[in-house]
Amino acid sequence: MKTITLFLIRFALSATALTIIFRYGLSYGMENKSAFVVASAAIIYGITMFILGWYFGKKDGEYLPIYDVGFRFHFTTYLVFNTVSLLWFVLGLNAHNEKVKIIYITAIIWGAVLITHFLFFLWTRKNSINNLYKEDLFD
Amino acid sequence: MYYTSCIILNFKMDKEKKLNELLASWEDTYKKGQLTLWIFLSLQDSKKYVEEIKDFVEKKSNGTITCEEQSLYRALRKYEHIEVLKHEPGKGNNGPDRKYYYLTELGKELFNRFVTRNITLFFSEEIQRLLKS
Repeated sequence: MKTITLFLIRFALSATALTIIFRYGLSYGMENKSAFVVASAAIIYGITMFILGWYFGKKDGEYLPIYDVGFRFHFTTYLVFNTVSLLWFVLGLNAHNEKVKIIYITAIIWGAVLITHFLFFLWTRKNSINNLYKEDLFD
Repeated sequence: MYYTSCIILNFKMDKEKKLNELLASWEDTYKKGQLTLWIFLSLQDSKKYVEEIKDFVEKKSNGTITCEEQSLYRALRKYEHIEVLKHEPGKGNNGPDRKYYYLTELGKELFNRFVTRNITLFFSEEIQRLLKS
């Protein structure tokens, strides 16, 4: 099964860069107790990640309509976000008032959502042939 | 008299315009599913590389089916993924090797069944008579 595509790798790299910028903005805002910087970093990160996912997802589907109901991009985002966030703490780049516990809680709750997404993917898999969308095969 | 002629002429022009619009709309929908059939037809003929498939489709369909190379590549990628096509490298004209596409056994079987179920029926006497009438 073809799961790791060129567009997924490009998405992962761009998401990594964005997440690093977000973590920097978040830590900077928390260190300086600026709710505005923290909120702005979160909103900008959310919007740009959505645009990134939409753009690369569209390109990926045009290249080959792999049936995954968005799971590959979701899983990549999960991995990138949590890995960068953990490393941020391991490397000591976090603000003094940032707690690593938040990263664990986020990973657990998000992980549960991710598992639900994966189960949904398995459940609806009958709509595919060789892991491609049935209705896109001969369009 | 002149006024009546103008009305008739206008009516004929309106009818012609409407017919052309309806025909274009019907053909747009009809052609959407045609590319697969033409690609398979071209490969039923012989192994071909992308430009040859494109030429075959455009020539044999009398120019009614045109295909962008990008959509052709996308279609071929999908058909390879579902194992109805394969490719092998072949010599290009003084350039890099070309990908020569051919139908697999599954592809041939799929094509034959599709033709039997959807194309052959047009050769029945009754349908032929209706098409000619």
